[in-house]
Amino acid sequence: MKPAAFDYYRPTTIGDAIEALGSSEVSKVLAGGQSLIPSMNFRLSLPELLVDIRDVDGLDKLEADPEGVTIGASVTQSRVMAYEGAADIVPGLRSALRFVGHLQIRNRGTVCGSLAHADPAAELPALAIATGATIEIRGPAGVRTVGAGDFFLGPFWTDLGHGEIVTGVHFPAQPSGGVTVVDEIARRSGDFAIAGLAAVFEIRGGAVGAARPVSFGVSGVAGRMAAAEEAIRGFDPGNDGSDLYAAAYEDAADAVDDVHANAEYRREALGALLVRAARSAVGSNGDRTGV
Amino acid sequence: MASNPGSREADVSVTINGTQVTYRVPARLLLSDFIRDVVGLTGTHVGCEHGYCGACTVIVDGDAIRSCSTLAVQVDGSAIRTVEDLADDGELTPMQQAFHENHAMQCGFCTAGFLMTLESVDPDDYREPEQVVELLSGNLCRCTGYQNIVKAVCSAWGVEGHKGT
Repeated sequence: MKPAAFDYYRPTTIGDAIEALGSSEVSKVLAGGQSLIPSMNFRLSLPELLVDIRDVDGLDKLEADPEGVTIGASVTQSRVMAYEGAADIVPGLRSALRFVGHLQIRNRGTVCGSLAHADPAAELPALAIATGATIEIRGPAGVRTVGAGDFFLGPFWTDLGHGEIVTGVHFPAQPSGGVTVVDEIARRSGDFAIAGLAAVFEIRGGAVGAARPVSFGVSGVAGRMAAAEEAIRGFDPGNDGSDLYAAAYEDAADAVDDVHANAEYRREALGALLVRAARSAVGSNGDRTGV
Repeated sequence: MASNPGSREADVSVTINGTQVTYRVPARLLLSDFIRDVVGLTGTHVGCEHGYCGACTVIVDGDAIRSCSTLAVQVDGSAIRTVEDLADDGELTPMQQAFHENHAMQCGFCTAGFLMTLESVDPDDYREPEQVVELLSGNLCRCTGYQNIVKAVCSAWGVEGHKGT
């Protein structure tokens, strides 16, 4: 079980990286490689050319300001977790990253790599949608930005075109009065989620004013939950959660069946996760404790 | 279409356990196979080969990583430490001694990975037994020796409150 042969290239400029990606029909960007290399070990992925971006100038940027946190393509998940400035501005980053693989994987895996890989059970795409993150992409036609809500199209499928690279992601600061919750159900610590939720809540007067919950691991792609967004308005600590649960269940109508859990289980788990998250959100900012 | 600028082989220069080495290797060579088959250090074990079991954990520039999910060419220029570096003068480290005293292994296949994960972190960050368990969650032991492993770590680091047998 070893990767099939491929050509390897390690450029130092983004221009050379993009040109190289365009030189083969089957080229892939190599950042941390924590999804790509296991997939190549199984020969599920058979690239002709790997473009290693570790030495590319300008991709190792990690910056936080009151507006948000900007993370370059070669920044590892461990580096973001350890960065105190990021934790204060976008608390969801640390909440999500603690679920990503294990220490050894986060030490090499990158935030942008997880977004570009778009595993339906991954935490970071869901967090990006929930927070309204913006993804910066460079390619043969220049630079463009895409909102996370428009970036994830399906399982391992994004808006990225051939020859394009995710060069960075910007997570906007959590709004004042906001609470971010990332939670999931997995068989073992570090496993992919059977059902997961990332949600940003705006708390007004002890109740949920508005929220953007995003499911992951439930269907083929992380996505917003339209019924739950409606049902959650006004959720307060006295709410029994049944309407919210039913809305989340409805939102998960396209839940998948697999060896880990059937669709019914995933729908129920998502409902339970959302009610738990909403209670925690109003409990943490409200004047009454969540039930 | 421009010609592909990549190559099937590349030079890898690393410091491994303090010794500088350079080899020309296939780009597809995994770091685990580089360490075992090219450098000849067989203390690093290869288990699942897809980043799940942690048996192949080594330290690269201070960080514990999975050597089976990393290409050798990716760590060109780095400093690597493997389990052979721990007792290179023949004297066990305090953690190795604690593993010995607590019988923290059965077959021993996973042990090098556990030791390198432990070697990579600051014990001050792990003061509760639950934190030790979380730290070790990326290393599998199929002899189910976890209780004694956690006991050994708590003993070596002076972590109190472990309820294991």
